[in-house]
Amino acid sequence: MTGLELARGALASLEQSRQRIDDLNVYPVPDGDTGTNLTLTCRAIVEALEGSTAHDQAAIAKELTRAALMGARGNSGVILSQIVRGFAEVLGEAGAIDTPTLARAFRGASDAAYRAVRRPVEGTMLTVIREVAEAAERSDSTRAPAAFLVSLVRAGEESLARTQDLLDVLRDAGVVDAGGAGLVEILRGLAATAAGEPIPEAPPAPELSIDAIHQELSEFRYCTTFVIEGEGLVREELERELERLGDSLLVVGDPTAYKVHVHTDAPGDALAIGTTRGTIAGVEIANMHTQTHGREQRLLHVVPDLVSEVVAVVVGEGNRKLFESLGATSFVEGGQTMNPSTADLVAAVERTGAPEIVLLPNNSNVIMSAEQAATLAGKPVEVVASDSLQAGLAAIVSFDPQRGAAENATEMREVLDAVATGEVTVASRDAQLNGLAVPKGAYLGLAGGEAVSVGDDFAQVVTDVVERLLAEPRGILTMLRGEDAPDVDALVAAIAERHPDVEVDVQDGGQPHYPLLLSAE
Amino acid sequence: MDLTAQNTAIVVDSTADFPEAAERFPNWRMVPLYVRFGDESYRDYVELGPHDFYERLRVAPIPPTTSQPTPGDFAAAYAELAGYERIFSVHIPQTLSGTIQSARVAAEELGDKVRPIDSGTASAAIAMLGFAIQRRLERGTTDEEVDALVDRFKERAGLLFTVDTLEFLQRGGRIGRAAKFAGQLLNVKPILTIEDGEVVPLKRVRGAAKAFAEFQRQFTGETADGESLRVGIAHAEAPDRAEQLRKMVVGERPHAEVEIVTTLGAVVGTHAGPGTVGLFWFADDA
Repeated sequence: MTGLELARGALASLEQSRQRIDDLNVYPVPDGDTGTNLTLTCRAIVEALEGSTAHDQAAIAKELTRAALMGARGNSGVILSQIVRGFAEVLGEAGAIDTPTLARAFRGASDAAYRAVRRPVEGTMLTVIREVAEAAERSDSTRAPAAFLVSLVRAGEESLARTQDLLDVLRDAGVVDAGGAGLVEILRGLAATAAGEPIPEAPPAPELSIDAIHQELSEFRYCTTFVIEGEGLVREELERELERLGDSLLVVGDPTAYKVHVHTDAPGDALAIGTTRGTIAGVEIANMHTQTHGREQRLLHVVPDLVSEVVAVVVGEGNRKLFESLGATSFVEGGQTMNPSTADLVAAVERTGAPEIVLLPNNSNVIMSAEQAATLAGKPVEVVASDSLQAGLAAIVSFDPQRGAAENATEMREVLDAVATGEVTVASRDAQLNGLAVPKGAYLGLAGGEAVSVGDDFAQVVTDVVERLLAEPRGILTMLRGEDAPDVDALVAAIAERHPDVEVDVQDGGQPHYPLLLSAE
Repeated sequence: MDLTAQNTAIVVDSTADFPEAAERFPNWRMVPLYVRFGDESYRDYVELGPHDFYERLRVAPIPPTTSQPTPGDFAAAYAELAGYERIFSVHIPQTLSGTIQSARVAAEELGDKVRPIDSGTASAAIAMLGFAIQRRLERGTTDEEVDALVDRFKERAGLLFTVDTLEFLQRGGRIGRAAKFAGQLLNVKPILTIEDGEVVPLKRVRGAAKAFAEFQRQFTGETADGESLRVGIAHAEAPDRAEQLRKMVVGERPHAEVEIVTTLGAVVGTHAGPGTVGLFWFADDA
């Protein structure tokens, strides 16, 4: 048995589990490369030994130490290099390599690893090497080395399982320590090689639990789970169809009942796939936005609880998404033609979890009920009196959930003072406005609440409003397209040409009655 | 011990975004981190320059990852500097990278000769801490004075940066409290800093023009004009924004010295992404 053979065994065992270990990696930085780094470190050791001409034990030990040091990749690799070094130093000075020597080598490995880390954290690969060393010292020293190593694999596995209890970030993510898992695979490879056995198959990747799969970042919004019950259900068929709708797909069960989990923007379509094949039960649809949020909090442990949240009155699905992307968590549907009641607003405030609330009425007709709601709600509410949706949108950009409502409101009000707003609507009846005759069905353009343009030519009316909004120097012009709004691409190009310093941002707001809401900041 | 530029060396890692270290100062070395596309690994700046990196980033089917230098890499750099009696090894914070861990392991081999320093900051600001140490070496200094300088730098140096998207910080797990600060839909620019080794959001604004205005507001609010004011600028494929910032600095603080304008290398670029621009300052007046 040569050192090279043992190192190859360790490498082979690590290689098998590389991906699995990468996936475990949430600490210290959740960048998913621990398996890769340990594998590369181990490979560097194997390559160095392959090129080695050393024969005596002391020289080989020295080369091993140096190879590990030179090849160490990543934090886990550096710690591994110290483990190898501590191990090799004992072996290099020893005569025969017997079980008591190995036990001392594991102690040396553990001590070297702890020395290398300034502030050792328990629940990491440090814990695993220390507990393996302790098991080695307790072990029957008359055992043959191969059997001894096998017993250490078990000790390592037990220690690894306990890392979850020691490090909150691991428990919250539902994983064991990645570096520790790598160490166990190395031990497994060493033990098998010493026993003259093939490297055992890597432990099967645990069937991903739904909690674990949520650790993945998803671009899709709804986490959708349900059970399909039926006869002769074919898993592959379900997977093929569901795959198209999103990611993080999991279909588990048997042909009479499958549990489905998918992240998708179209939960309804996912359910429809179920109902065409059987009956569905246990439907759960959750907004991933808040879940991912929660995961990041858990993982990073640095995010204090929210101090404040935003409740916004909105109309239009696109607008709602915009507010949500900026931190609004509770919504009341409403706008120009549908003013929510004070009770609706109070109820929305009560639905929130944060201790303080910023309320955006987003319509001049809602400001009073918002102020009333603020006095009735069971927690402090600051009303930032946005008189239009686009003004509220400008204001929420400066919202920070880690600040109190009052501090947020002060800054958001400053934004309101500085933003210029406009809108284009369709006249619902003949009227006179600011001296302009407005025939029913014509486009009516307003800037700062004043009628500035009327006509059948949408582009012209928009242009008039835009020119009014950009009369003062502005940096950004936002346009929120309403439902069934005419195309604005040509218009945007023309505006960009006339105002090269202004960034134009067009979003689908989806509001009714107003083909275009505009703001300039 | 009296420390001078003749008996004392400075080692930075490549997250200082100062690849010309050894050319500019005979007593400096830069140790590269690694950037990995799939199974191919490159040494930052040495084997993959910023320009080629950003080209490659655009077409890479899977995003790159980064990895700290090996202890051996540091050992080699320290060996090159064998003629010096003291080495200050200045690095990106432990919370953002294991780089300093590798440096410490290599440093231990050399007894007390090497002093690894957690700079608490990133990119050109690491180089700026190095410059401040170098200025003292050139007039003669001591370990105690350097320690005091490092403490003061950590406490008072300013750092602002903004990214085009939080995606890159998110992917690399280096986002910290900025996680909540999304708002991609509306061209929202987060204004970020690094505090206690962690990326922290300061504010969010809409559009590049407002981001610039916010940089200007913070910079002028926190600095006074004077020759001791040192400024650095770094950008990822955004030379226009960097130049705009430089002009702002020169206009607002005409006596300050802009001592480094640099491109974010492959490693920092992997975690910040194209379009990132950073402004760093330090009043070196003690």
